[in-house]
Amino acid sequence: MQEFLQTTVNGLQTGCLYALLALGYTMVYGVLKLLNFAHGDVYMVGAYIGYYVIRWFGGPTALTIPVPLLIVIMFALAASGCGLLGMAMERFAYRPLRDAPRIAPLITALGISFVLENSVLLLFGGFTKSYSTPSFISSTNGIHIGGVSIDSVEILIIVVSVAMMIGLRALVNRTTLGKSMRAVASDREAAEMLGINVNRTIALTFFIGSAMAGVAGVMSGLAFNEITNTIGFLAGLKAFTAAVVGGIGSIPGAMIGGIFIGLAESFSLSYISTEYSDLIVFGILIATMLIRPQGIFGRPPLQKV
Amino acid sequence: MKRIIVFAVTLAALTAAGCGSSKSSSPKKSASTSCSTSIAIEGPFTGPVAQLGLEQLHFAELAVAQYNAADKTNVTLNQDDTQLTPSIAVTKTQAIIASSAVAVVGPAGSQEVEAVGPLFGKAGVAFVSGSATLPALASSGKNPTFFRVVPDDDVQGPQDANYVINHLKPKAVLIIDDDEAYSQGLVKVMTPILQKAGIKVNHQTYNETDTGATLANALSSIVTSQLTPAETVTMVPWQTATAAQQFGLDVAQQHKKTILFGTDGTDSPTQFKIPGSYVSNFGPDISTATTALDKSIVSGVAKYGPYGAFGVPTYAATEVLMKAIASVCQAGQTPSRSNVLAAVKKTSIAPADNPMGVTIAFQPGGDLVGAPGYLFHIDSKGTYVSIPNH
Repeated sequence: MQEFLQTTVNGLQTGCLYALLALGYTMVYGVLKLLNFAHGDVYMVGAYIGYYVIRWFGGPTALTIPVPLLIVIMFALAASGCGLLGMAMERFAYRPLRDAPRIAPLITALGISFVLENSVLLLFGGFTKSYSTPSFISSTNGIHIGGVSIDSVEILIIVVSVAMMIGLRALVNRTTLGKSMRAVASDREAAEMLGINVNRTIALTFFIGSAMAGVAGVMSGLAFNEITNTIGFLAGLKAFTAAVVGGIGSIPGAMIGGIFIGLAESFSLSYISTEYSDLIVFGILIATMLIRPQGIFGRPPLQKV
Repeated sequence: MKRIIVFAVTLAALTAAGCGSSKSSSPKKSASTSCSTSIAIEGPFTGPVAQLGLEQLHFAELAVAQYNAADKTNVTLNQDDTQLTPSIAVTKTQAIIASSAVAVVGPAGSQEVEAVGPLFGKAGVAFVSGSATLPALASSGKNPTFFRVVPDDDVQGPQDANYVINHLKPKAVLIIDDDEAYSQGLVKVMTPILQKAGIKVNHQTYNETDTGATLANALSSIVTSQLTPAETVTMVPWQTATAAQQFGLDVAQQHKKTILFGTDGTDSPTQFKIPGSYVSNFGPDISTATTALDKSIVSGVAKYGPYGAFGVPTYAATEVLMKAIASVCQAGQTPSRSNVLAAVKKTSIAPADNPMGVTIAFQPGGDLVGAPGYLFHIDSKGTYVSIPNH
């Protein structure tokens, strides 16, 4: 039982990060029908911003500000930095290709992924960067019940992720921007005719999705300490899998899909094989495509007759 | 203006003289004809183990600079980043073979040597690794131009297993490989020794290519589902020090206890510093050494910050090639792949003339003759303390 619960905690933590990333994939797909494969690298940039914020405030062993304030600043700067990066990507790389065949922006997304990965390599070097989180947040702090440990960073990740997911759902369902996003996702031309500023809506969608990826990057650094310029690739693929499994284009689908993939990965690691967990996760992707291509929450496409 | 020029020239001359004198304690000067050629270094200069590769690069650059000055050679060092990935190493090797490089330092990983050894062999290029330790590399016959200045896993593996048996005395051991040739080779050597001593061995595997959240989930899950209270020692013969550090943090976070025992791949004083852990290696700690050569190396790499035990063997590997090239030139020949390879085979460097502290000479398969192993304990401050006579 103890092992089961600890595995669930591990899976929830990873799943929340995948879910935050999957939301970015699904939002962009919703408004542009584009698979933004550079999204994982935006997450990586967020992790780097968090790292340099720690350095800026004295480093992990000599922080000049209280830890809660540090975390807030890390989240704020990573969210705004990554949000602006997402907007820039949309403005300069995807918008010119909006009416091009769908393969063009897809290849562009892969290109941006490599550009981001290698730019970080050139700017900050190939060394692994360490958040050294235990230097300022004890890894033994948190809840320890019956042999199950949930440390403070895990609690932070789960709470912040759930709060952001609820916030995003409220934004999409209850605000004017959310209505615009849904309208653009439903029919871009009709939305434009109704007076919705499509460019602004798409740019803000990129901002929000990328900001969430930035926050996920910071939380990843806090939880796992080590970051490199390559961490976005695999995380991005897993998040993409989560978005597809949940139903790409569906916000609840991305949330559930992310948590499902995190738990599936964790349970396969603990109970099946540490070697074949990736095989199992991507096997789920293939099975979903074969059995229910629209995903858990997706709707099958309507065919005009 | 003239005065400024005269001053600048004088300053440059004094600086040059100063540089020369500062290296008087480094490699002994020998009379030789000046000769120009190039060698290459293959290592992981970017990626998850860049700290290891960059350390190797810095030590190799220092060796080239010092022996160029000492032997009046003009050898240039070309860098080829393999990211510890065999497929990339093959591409880089093909480029090196097409270039004018006469010999190669590296590659770093055993799996890379497996991939590129036949290519170098066919091209007749001598390559000397300072860290590839899989025993079969020298004994398989597939790598005829391969040499290494470090002991193989048949030295390191038994040394580590015996230290665990005799000093840590566990009833059970968790041993985890990272699904790569290097790690699996060490596990294969250590497991039967531990079992023979009556220790129960729980063997697990994680995927070394995983990164970020996926890697962390894998390591955390191993702690959750595999590490039992009886397993008071966990052996982590991995190539990524940061993964070992993460594993140690996961153990503490889940309120479990085990002593981590890493091998050369986890040797990184800046990245793996879980107190109470052990790290074995194939290179000595020269930071407190008193010989002139060791001192010159320590001061030469000081600007790069802390380093582990990967640099020293790579310095020695580079030294082998530099001395081979110098000997070719002294014989009045122009360095070529064939004459440098022949000279490398005849290498004999006295303990006092290399930082490994042993005679560097090669067996027919390319293995070092009589190579010792080294062991370190990580104290409560995270500092590596050498364990002599283990």
